[in-house]
Amino acid sequence: MEHENIIDKNDLVLVTGANGFIGSRVVEGLLELGFQRVRCFARSSKGGNRLEALAKVGGVGSRLEIVSGNLLSPQDCASAATDARVIFHLAAGRGEKSFPDAFMNSVVTTRNLLEAAANNGCLKRFVNISSFSVYSNQHKSHGKLLDESCPVEQSPALRGEAYCFAKVEQEQIVLEYATRRGIPYAIVRPGQVYGPGNEGITGRVGIGTFGIFLHLGGSNTIPLTYVDNCANAIILAGIKHGADGQIFNVVDDDLPSSRKFLRLYKRHVRSFPSLYVPHVMSYALCYLWEKYSEWSHDQLPPVFNRRRWHTYWKSTRYSNEKLKKRVGWMPKVRTEDGLKLFFESCRVRRASA
Amino acid sequence: MLRVAIIGCGKIADSHASQIGRIKGCEIVGVYDREPLMAQQLAKRFPIKKAFSSLTQLLDEARPDVVHITTPPQGHFDLAKTCLEYRCHIYVEKPFTVWADEAEKLIAIANERQLKLTVGHDDQFSHVSRRMRSIVRNGFLGGSPVHMESYYCYEISKAGYSGALLGDKKHWVRRLPGKLLQNIISHGIARIAEFLAGDSPEVITYGFTSPLLRSMGETEIIDELRVIIHDVDGTTAYFTFSSQMRPGLHGFRMYGSKNGLMLDQDQETLIKLRGARYKSYAEKFVPPIVLAGQYLGNASLNLKTFLGNDFHMKSGLKFLIESFYRSIIEGTPEPIPYREILLTSRIMEAIFKSLSESVAEPTKDYVREHAATVV
Repeated sequence: MEHENIIDKNDLVLVTGANGFIGSRVVEGLLELGFQRVRCFARSSKGGNRLEALAKVGGVGSRLEIVSGNLLSPQDCASAATDARVIFHLAAGRGEKSFPDAFMNSVVTTRNLLEAAANNGCLKRFVNISSFSVYSNQHKSHGKLLDESCPVEQSPALRGEAYCFAKVEQEQIVLEYATRRGIPYAIVRPGQVYGPGNEGITGRVGIGTFGIFLHLGGSNTIPLTYVDNCANAIILAGIKHGADGQIFNVVDDDLPSSRKFLRLYKRHVRSFPSLYVPHVMSYALCYLWEKYSEWSHDQLPPVFNRRRWHTYWKSTRYSNEKLKKRVGWMPKVRTEDGLKLFFESCRVRRASA
Repeated sequence: MLRVAIIGCGKIADSHASQIGRIKGCEIVGVYDREPLMAQQLAKRFPIKKAFSSLTQLLDEARPDVVHITTPPQGHFDLAKTCLEYRCHIYVEKPFTVWADEAEKLIAIANERQLKLTVGHDDQFSHVSRRMRSIVRNGFLGGSPVHMESYYCYEISKAGYSGALLGDKKHWVRRLPGKLLQNIISHGIARIAEFLAGDSPEVITYGFTSPLLRSMGETEIIDELRVIIHDVDGTTAYFTFSSQMRPGLHGFRMYGSKNGLMLDQDQETLIKLRGARYKSYAEKFVPPIVLAGQYLGNASLNLKTFLGNDFHMKSGLKFLIESFYRSIIEGTPEPIPYREILLTSRIMEAIFKSLSESVAEPTKDYVREHAATVV
């Protein structure tokens, strides 16, 4: 398999967001594959327990370099990117409600890193971690099927979702650097990444904003990917031939419906009341909210709108064929097993809360 | 048409762009940020004519009448001075300047050039704050306030702004003399300053790092602050800033010689506190009923304002900007008197000086380390 890789196992690889939910698994995966020089970039040296613990494992410490810094600093980016042959860029402004904050922590940081990589001159691939949220999920060429050929949101600001706006703009800047500075790249768009460390219920299933949990997903398939499977997909997109300039969606096989997920969650983690909202009604509510928001000049911010409905609550099928064919990815953790691990983690988290 | 520009395209600039968009008779002709991408993202999302990559280019080409300065505070003085030199009126986000003497200089320049300026103390222009001001002016308190209490809390979490601040030892907030406090407390201090008669009140400060932050290894950030202010005419005030108390209040109470007022900014409620007492057991039953009626009245008023489409989260900001623009166009008084801007700056400076002096000479008792008195 070695000949299929674009880099040698002694080449330096950089992982940003290395202390995060997915990033830490990417680091572990690279070490498992035998990479000898893994540079981990994390925002703060504090809270780096997962990486520090990893570094203490026999024989690992010498292969791991932990660097703390801020990607908003071009100097920190230059230091981090020095000699890196592959950059796995996972750091992003997640959970930001403000557009400028999300943009700054996703786009400005990415630009700084791309600039540093371009100046460095030895980069073989820049792996940009994006998200399913960039898809508009409208006007798809294959009916309900969402794959890599589907259109990306053209007016992401109108989604009313800072994360979507930032991710679309982040992809744009990667493409710009690919054209302008010749940066070799791959874009990975994971679906809903789940597993121990991320215990929430995805908004694709429903929302608890209004006091009672509104189940919006119904019979929709939830595009889950277990964190270890996702990390493996990211690694393969970074090191395998055939991934240059490509976009990869990451979802696992045998995906559950929203209804099934919620039923299992209630059975294995905790029981709570929920109210099913049929698709036609959720669409109508999103439409009314959107129109009221427009009319009132954002007295209610446009957080619910038709664009968001299409992305999160419209019945959709998903494909991972490209990932399997191009880089030989297979989900190592079956969805059934992943869900068991996830629910167990949720129970532990609840018990310790 | 008033030509408006924004300098600094971070989080608060969104609120400015959004509220300016609701005001008739003005247009945003340009935005600038030291980071060009930030200027571009703002221009993409709002009706803004152009994103500029240099300050002088913005001032020369866009030729704004008013400039909103929404950068971190360290840049306020230089940027404001440059804009005044270009004959622009300026709206500066809070805190107005880092140091009080910088505030004095800006006001002097503005006066000399017959330009106007204001500061982003928009909480004082929310619906409920305006109602309170009107009642005070009508003499409800029975004269000058005897005592005031201002609460301005900030819930620290690992996410968002505070998470970024705690995780980044080089964060710009840490480079402010008053650090986190300097970036936040001016809303609460300005409420007190508005009703003080003198220009140099006594300020007694007591601050410390909360046990929660200390447990996270934080040693620089003071997130618990108690201040006593004593004015020349005998009016006193307490100011409380806390990251730990719950509920995290944003409120203001005033007590006069006759009656009192209790404002809750988060709930947008204003309660009149009757000075006189009812006789005997009536005091136990009548006031709770009267208070319940007042709360109901507040809820009803808030609902009415919402249905009237005038209850936006930043309605105070819109009112302040609108009043400021009117003062420019019609030559009416500025919405925030310069005296109040200066007094707020002086009180804040006194607080930060006393905290830094006490930290420089620590004693064995941790709490006493951060206590000090400034006259």
